[in-house]
Amino acid sequence: MVESKHKWKAWLYLSPAIVLLLIFTVWPIINTIRMSLLVDYSTIKETGGYAFDFGIKNFVRVLNYPKFLNCLKNTLLLCVLTVPLSTILALLIAVCLNAIKPLQRFLQTVFFLPYVTNSIAIGMVFSAMFNIIGNNIGSSTQLITTAGIINNIIGVFGVDPINWINAGSSYWANITVLVVYIVWDALPFKILVLLGGLQSINRQYYDAAKVDSTPRSRVFTKITVPLLSPMIAYVVITAFIGGFKEYSSIVGIFGDGMGPAGDKGRLNTMVGFIYDSLAASQEGLASAAALILFAIIFVVTMINLYVSKKKTHY
Amino acid sequence: MKVELRNLTKIFPSRNKKSGEEVIAVNDFTFTIPDGKLIGLLGPSGCGKSTTLYMISGLQKPTSGQIFFGEDDVTELSAENRGIGLVFQNYALYPHMTVKQNILFPLQNLKGADKLPKAEMLQRAYEAAKLVQIDELMDRKPGELSGGQQQRVAIARALVKMPKVLLLDEPLSNLDARLRLQTREEIRRIQKETGITTIFVTHDQEEAMSISDMIVVMKLGVVQQTGRPQEVYDDPTNLFVAKFLGTPPINVFAGEVKSEKLYIGGVAVLDVPGVEDREVTVGIRPEGFVPDANGPLVCKLNSVEVMGRDVSVVSTHASSLNPIVRSIVNSDYRISSEETVRYSLKSHKVFLFDRRDETRIRF
Amino acid sequence: MTEHVSMQEKNLQQVSAHQRIVKVAVQVLLYAFLFLMALTVLFPFYWMLISSVKTLAEYQLQIPTFFPRKIVFFNYVEAFQTANLGRLFLNTLYVGVVSTLLSLVITVLSAFAFARLEFKGKNALFAALLATMMIPGELFTITNYITVDTFGWMETFTALIVPFLVSVFYIYLLRQNFMQIPNELYLAAKVDGTSDLKYLWKVMIPLALPTLISITILKMMGAWNSYIWPRLVANKPEMRLITNGLRNAFTDANTQQTNIPVQMAAVAIVSFPLFLVFIFLRKYIMKGVSRSGIKG
Repeated sequence: MVESKHKWKAWLYLSPAIVLLLIFTVWPIINTIRMSLLVDYSTIKETGGYAFDFGIKNFVRVLNYPKFLNCLKNTLLLCVLTVPLSTILALLIAVCLNAIKPLQRFLQTVFFLPYVTNSIAIGMVFSAMFNIIGNNIGSSTQLITTAGIINNIIGVFGVDPINWINAGSSYWANITVLVVYIVWDALPFKILVLLGGLQSINRQYYDAAKVDSTPRSRVFTKITVPLLSPMIAYVVITAFIGGFKEYSSIVGIFGDGMGPAGDKGRLNTMVGFIYDSLAASQEGLASAAALILFAIIFVVTMINLYVSKKKTHY
Repeated sequence: MKVELRNLTKIFPSRNKKSGEEVIAVNDFTFTIPDGKLIGLLGPSGCGKSTTLYMISGLQKPTSGQIFFGEDDVTELSAENRGIGLVFQNYALYPHMTVKQNILFPLQNLKGADKLPKAEMLQRAYEAAKLVQIDELMDRKPGELSGGQQQRVAIARALVKMPKVLLLDEPLSNLDARLRLQTREEIRRIQKETGITTIFVTHDQEEAMSISDMIVVMKLGVVQQTGRPQEVYDDPTNLFVAKFLGTPPINVFAGEVKSEKLYIGGVAVLDVPGVEDREVTVGIRPEGFVPDANGPLVCKLNSVEVMGRDVSVVSTHASSLNPIVRSIVNSDYRISSEETVRYSLKSHKVFLFDRRDETRIRF
Repeated sequence: MTEHVSMQEKNLQQVSAHQRIVKVAVQVLLYAFLFLMALTVLFPFYWMLISSVKTLAEYQLQIPTFFPRKIVFFNYVEAFQTANLGRLFLNTLYVGVVSTLLSLVITVLSAFAFARLEFKGKNALFAALLATMMIPGELFTITNYITVDTFGWMETFTALIVPFLVSVFYIYLLRQNFMQIPNELYLAAKVDGTSDLKYLWKVMIPLALPTLISITILKMMGAWNSYIWPRLVANKPEMRLITNGLRNAFTDANTQQTNIPVQMAAVAIVSFPLFLVFIFLRKYIMKGVSRSGIKG
């Protein structure tokens, strides 16, 4: 490294980044903690000269707030359903892709395609696919007049049409649609990372296994998965972090009402709660919720890291 | 188990699609490896020796030709069904498994009638480990072992299922010089004890010569010569083989045969009965020089390196095709002159080769 | 050959026939699974395209047609007008280009300082930066919203550009790239009296170009896809970015009914530039994304 007499130069180069980070990253951290600890904080009241009590009441209120608990439930449910599902599916696809030669590049590109889409725009496509046109609220006989392609497809297998996302739809129908969409949306990144991991595994391990007449299933469980475990751990951790921040997929399908017509807010998530509180000028609550979200992500990441350390070290 | 290769050929399609040139890695290889012997496949890199090994293992399919194990044609059989043991150049030990798990792995794959009870698997794993003297390290992971230890684990893993044929791909190339000497003796010992037909690939001629029952010298996919190491060393079929075997390497001169006498630099140095008059390339083994005050071959002396038992004399000669001429002589020898050294030659250490196609001209 | 040998030969032939059958069967299964999954992945795109060229009447048929009977394009015209897509495009392009350019300058300078210069507290500062990557962005949003309001930036493009100019991840990515360039090159340039900036411009930037391209693409895609923040700070129709403008443009405020073919046409219009970018710059996108995969 080079001369120390031009120290100021380094700081000069760094100054734009540092100034912006101070304003838009460091100050928010401090301010969020401050706001979360001022009871019922709002900027409007603060400019009005209101003196806030200091304490953890915001946290207590958030955690006892049915709306927040609903958001927490939705978020956790989506995480628990989508993370394993998308990881396993991505692993299967990546392993299969890695085992073929012709068309490998082509299929790899196809599977990466959903990554370069606008998740809200494609959410609207999913919404259209599950949508039921001409549905009158409460009249289940009207369900027959569906143009939603999904109902037509499952109809081929003898399944009755389901009201997936329209007014009067059931919670689990909504969740199913979200899970399908989130998994679809999450696959490309995971496939890319896992395939990259698979391709960097030394081929000799597979040759050695072949010479020793190892059955395919055993190669997969005893060699591929353990050797890929750092990548799997990485994919799972990022999936959890993304899962806890789930928001725009729901906007894509249900609009910013965060629920089917007639039951707005039913599918709201933690991030949605933060924005709603912000829009309602309840910055104290929003901050407390954001810190709770951070705490959850932090704890889950640490657990993941701990587990993967135990399972993957070699 | 006897292994027989019949007209084995491997052609790789060209890497560069446009030029369309194919690479002939192995060309028409025919050879029979007798049961229970240790065979060294020897040659410079790119000579097709590893490809040959991988074809025997079943990991690569020959383009044409056949492979027999005993009387069975196994050419179409994939690696899973050949029952061979293979030690990879980088050992390919599973990094996430302990030594014990690595050695047990092939046994756990056995199915049906071959399936073993757990206790017997363990017993066999420990036997194999003992054979290569790593039974103390069973609970370590490969990352915690030295290169030599990893190499032994790899051999144990290959031996534990009692293969019909054991294949070793450059087994010593990742070891340091001392370990290499020790390990090659080890391989010899293990092979003797188990009696398994063993084929190993190496680019190190000393390694191959020292432990093999037979060696196969290859160049650019073509077998040059096969035979017992000493035979090949003493009677090379062409200049390539003569140059490739032996340390220090053979000395090469430009020479000429006139009326059954070999001339080097215009001086007759040796009688070569039965050879027509022609220009030749002359190979002289370092031990083929005899210091002789009246010897016909006069070289300019450079230096004398005392190596204990022997003395290595480094000199130059105008007709030498190498920068230096190196001879190995008895340490009783004392240099008399400071400037030149004179040699007479042992005729069985001198080989003549055709100038153009480099084949041997016998006399 | 003896009878015994030929028996064994037959057995071997059986084994090799069996192994060939298994091999073919496995390949067939692999391709079948992959094609099924690929179709599933592609189906939404297909549905988007064919729905966008159907008439509303055909779209609302009880049994939908997998290929439109009549291909019409007026949905695209209507989508463009209803959602004022031209305006949205321009806004998004402006925000994307300006923020990408500024962001690149800041990232390059910072990465250079971290990779090549020596100053007190460098490692501590870098570690602190990396630590902020763990914090979810939502935590910053609340205060940034207040800050933007205080600065009087509400309903301006400045509010869309400035808060996100610094990405710690991009600085990290580029620094790693710069570190791989041998320091000797820098020392040699110093000996020749080349200034830092000239060296940066002539040597490091060309060598790190693939990373810079990856950053540019990801940043542009970010502008294209951002939804939450623009909706918070610049939600006036004439300030909207593409995603925000798209979501609610096609739902009739009174009946809550959506003209789906028009909506699908709009989605197709919005997706098209992304596909174009993807087709031509796939290598850089995949590299950037997978590299973010290796950082873990």
